[in-house]
Amino acid sequence: MMKDPRKVFEAEFDKIGAENPLVLAISCDSAKGAGMATFIHHYPKRYVEVGISEQTAIGVCAGLAETGFKPVLAAITPFLTMRAYEQIRNDIGYTHRNVTLVGSGGGLAYSTLGSSHEAIEDISLMRTIPNMVILVPGDGNEIEQALRMAIAYNGPVYLRMPRQELRNIPVDSDEKFAIGKSRTLRHGKDVLVLTYGTMINETLDACEILLTQGISTSVESFLTVRPIDAQMLIQRVRDYEHIVTIEEHSKTAGFGGYIAELLADKDFKGTQHILGVEEGSKQVGPYREILMIHGLSAEKIAASIAAILKK
Amino acid sequence: MKNESILKMKINANRIRSRIITTVLDYGDGHAGPSLSCTDILSVLYNGVMNIDEKNPKSPDRDYFILSAGHKCLALYATLIERGYEDESVMQTYNRLDTKVPGHPDEQKFRGVDFSTGSLGHGLPLACGVATAMKLKNRMNRVFVLMGDGEHGEGSVWESASFASHHKLDNIIAIVDRNHLQINGTTEQIQSIEPLKERYKAFGWSVKTVDGNNIEELYEALYSLPFKKNKPSLIIANTIKGKGLSFAENNVDYHHWNPKDPKEIAMARADARKLDEEVFTL
Repeated sequence: MMKDPRKVFEAEFDKIGAENPLVLAISCDSAKGAGMATFIHHYPKRYVEVGISEQTAIGVCAGLAETGFKPVLAAITPFLTMRAYEQIRNDIGYTHRNVTLVGSGGGLAYSTLGSSHEAIEDISLMRTIPNMVILVPGDGNEIEQALRMAIAYNGPVYLRMPRQELRNIPVDSDEKFAIGKSRTLRHGKDVLVLTYGTMINETLDACEILLTQGISTSVESFLTVRPIDAQMLIQRVRDYEHIVTIEEHSKTAGFGGYIAELLADKDFKGTQHILGVEEGSKQVGPYREILMIHGLSAEKIAASIAAILKK
Repeated sequence: MKNESILKMKINANRIRSRIITTVLDYGDGHAGPSLSCTDILSVLYNGVMNIDEKNPKSPDRDYFILSAGHKCLALYATLIERGYEDESVMQTYNRLDTKVPGHPDEQKFRGVDFSTGSLGHGLPLACGVATAMKLKNRMNRVFVLMGDGEHGEGSVWESASFASHHKLDNIIAIVDRNHLQINGTTEQIQSIEPLKERYKAFGWSVKTVDGNNIEELYEALYSLPFKKNKPSLIIANTIKGKGLSFAENNVDYHHWNPKDPKEIAMARADARKLDEEVFTL
């Protein structure tokens, strides 16, 4: 079943509002678009509109958190993570403040609006912020889980929100989600894919295509993009000659780079391949077509993996 | 009571200045000029204006202070030491490995520092957050934030000046240490911030201008707050950069001072002695 990410966020955030009176909705003229409208309707006094002032919004959140509130700030992803990077670093990261940042329109979500609105460097930036937890949901369930985990966590969290409708990712009914825990979605022997967010379903579809070619694929998904347990990771990758990271993000310094850093100096004898967006790309167009252009549709992912294994 | 407070503010101002000068002399460098210009402001705030408790620095009833111009921290450290937040011996470790007193204040290192600062333009946004929190909680705590004048080149200052007035945050009291000098010249040479009073008024603030090195004037201005209900208050405190360090006063070259010249060092020692001795004549 397809779900609108914002509607899922909206319902869950409203429920959290009823449960936790310290949670505040902070907005950079983004509250409605981010899915905060119902919360604000029910709890108008717990809504602080900062306007199009991302730097100030981070300071406001840091000040609110210092006095015991749990601010959840929504802003358009590139403006949040780039314009206010230094405020995030100094006033939330180093100081470990209890603030949740919600980036609206992660990745190529705003693919028709050009490079100013595409968010393909946010993971690079947020993963260099001290103490920052990064959560990237890939379906409705993961959005609910991510929001719950962010609210329960006492510290800085960056939650990257998708925008396009999302198909449910298979999940065991008794599965427990936790910060830092990855999920094995598929067992295979030829190649291991490490992925997150919107690329999970594309990857699972790619696996079906690869299976028809006799290629058996293992898939590990990361709702928590950071931190990742390095010991767990090395155990997981050790049996594979090839691992492939796939992300709706720049290939430069993103999740793939993070995995490479974690595997440096470890006992991994295989080869890592990074699939993602070429930095500086100025391609504009409908979302699905842009995914294809960047090699991130299921068909293109399958073709890339098949080519890697043929080398 | 008022006279007693003023005496204490004056005595502490001298002690703070003396400690700033000797710390820079002993270590070999530091932001002497900007720390000396804001000394009287800090002494007034911490000795009769702000509601604080050195025994419980995180008291929920306290007024908050944010040193937005974090490089003036020698003045803040010395002020907090006079109030008993830390022992004076910490200053002997200034800028050294594992020190509590680095070149910019760190809330995780020094008791009584409410927010780490260092990069300019962060203080007023933080103040907006605390002030908003106090309004949401219906609490009377106030937030004092000290900014430099050169700092007003940062756009975030003006963003948050808009936020503060839009949200009627009359529990914010911002003070501009208006010493007219920044690193490379006068503020009016580098990038004019005048007419500062009119700019803040246009942004919806209530503004007073005082002699920022005059304890009585500062105390008078800070005695009754806010200046106007529903408006954030701003004090433009006209100050002398390097005040108390005779050869550095109003001299652009002493923003960050590296005492090397033996003549300067001797004069600075004499200035510190004079400040110490003056305490007994106040």
